[in-house]
Amino acid sequence: MTLPIIDRVFPIDPEDLLPAITPDNQQFWDALGRGEAIAQNCDGCKRTRYPIVPVCPYCGGTAWNWKTLSGKGTVFSWVRYVRSYLPEFEDLMPYVVLSVQLEEGARMFGRLLDKLDRDAPISIGAPVEMVIERWPDGRHVPAFRFATKGK
Amino acid sequence: MNPRGAVAIVGAGSPGLFRASPDTPINLAEQAVSRALDDAGLKRSQIDGLIIQIGSPRGTDYDLAASMLGLNVRFAAQPWAHGRFGATVLTHAAMALSWGLADYILCFAAYNNSSFGRHGSKERPSYGESLREGGGPHAETPHAGLTAPVAGAGMAAQRYFHKYGINPGKLAAVPLAFRRHAMLNPEAVMRKPLTREDYFASRYIVEPLRLFDCSVPVDGSVAFILTTAERARDCKKPPIQLLGVQGIHAGPNEFIFGQPGLGVNQSDVFDYKPAGADDLVFRMAGVKPADIDLFTTYDAFSPIVLWALERYGYCKPGEAADWIQNGRIELGGELPVNTNGGFLSAGHFNSWGEILEIVRQLRGEAGERQVRNAELAQWGTVVGDSIIFGRDRTGAKELS
Ligand SMILES: [Zn+2]
Repeated sequence: MTLPIIDRVFPIDPEDLLPAITPDNQQFWDALGRGEAIAQNCDGCKRTRYPIVPVCPYCGGTAWNWKTLSGKGTVFSWVRYVRSYLPEFEDLMPYVVLSVQLEEGARMFGRLLDKLDRDAPISIGAPVEMVIERWPDGRHVPAFRFATKGK
Repeated sequence: MNPRGAVAIVGAGSPGLFRASPDTPINLAEQAVSRALDDAGLKRSQIDGLIIQIGSPRGTDYDLAASMLGLNVRFAAQPWAHGRFGATVLTHAAMALSWGLADYILCFAAYNNSSFGRHGSKERPSYGESLREGGGPHAETPHAGLTAPVAGAGMAAQRYFHKYGINPGKLAAVPLAFRRHAMLNPEAVMRKPLTREDYFASRYIVEPLRLFDCSVPVDGSVAFILTTAERARDCKKPPIQLLGVQGIHAGPNEFIFGQPGLGVNQSDVFDYKPAGADDLVFRMAGVKPADIDLFTTYDAFSPIVLWALERYGYCKPGEAADWIQNGRIELGGELPVNTNGGFLSAGHFNSWGEILEIVRQLRGEAGERQVRNAELAQWGTVVGDSIIFGRDRTGAKELS
């Protein structure tokens, strides 16, 4: 499953926004560059987990495999920023950050790319899909948008 | 040994809390320490243990604090520089005293916030924690634009409102109650009347949380001296005993600003069932929630007060927003909460202001906001750390 990749244009060069790439999480970040989102699936309890960690926090199992995520999920919770904390997000005000319940089980935070009015309601449970942002430094970052009708 | 009442607070001191103080952390620390020593009737040379909360750059680290303040200690410690560890500092002091690692332990927080940038901004010394492997300490995820502790509390609140069908406007009862308390506290930094209209007219900081749902950052210092119950009886003031304690809980289902089961981060979703009187802190103290005369809690943001009340069994999960209405958590109500004004109005000082308030209330020193016949007081947070305090009833000095 290939997810849409879009270029993120910043008002200034982004700095200090991304966690370090480590031997544990490198494949996750590399996959995003190919338009794929992956997460670890536990061989023991079969639970899909995120963030990347060498042991299953739920059963203690250390055997796992990468699983490709569909990118589909629902709004689990959300907040709306109406004032800026980070200059890289200044031009996006107001913007919404979602906690997304992925259909495979884990949850992921991501910005909602749909541009909404400051007081537009957001429904918990609304279907969303993952979109990958390509950043100017070559990194790729997961984000979300409301699911297209008919899918 | 039975830990119940084995250790007591015998000295407390603070120069107050300030929106901005010109004083350095060491200077602030000294102001609290000398007041606490005087309050206990102890000499500096009697202090042989030291635990500090919040180190440099905002505060002072234990090594320099000991050398610069002339403290010769044989037990020192300093937890991760996060507000959450206030009560844990006192619990660690109690354990160290019980094991004979020291006879008199000085615990303090002394720090300055006003010289640093806003929480969540890159100017904040702790910003780098947002980029930890696995996420920041309050769910920060900067690449998603998710930054600042208020957003983590907001994520949890939004989900809680949805889960239990709660009108978010009910939150107003928390900041309104605490402001009324602060108006009776000469040391509180926010003492102007706050109306419902003011609350609803206030802007969102991060929706769903408004300006008045967020605590007020301050500079300042608070110090406590703890010792064993026997030594405590020789001090100047009535000892305030630690009757029961329990630690911070952590794990996949815990979130610093959310009820277990709410689903923040990767937490499972379930209906949280508080242990109530079966919680260790109550069992150790030998009391029930209904016995508690006043409750203080970590109110960095108003919704976390609801979850703390639910966690200790004062009301059922999902019911706190209704339970707190009509003055129930105000002075004169069934369970006065944060009678000093809390982080929301007295100033965000990581539990130290609220535990100082407990000491004053149990000593009968709370002035206009005194809870009548206050004998048992609980500190407790949404992440499970709690201490139940009581006045020493055996051979206690008469209160005036
Ligand atoms: Zn597992």
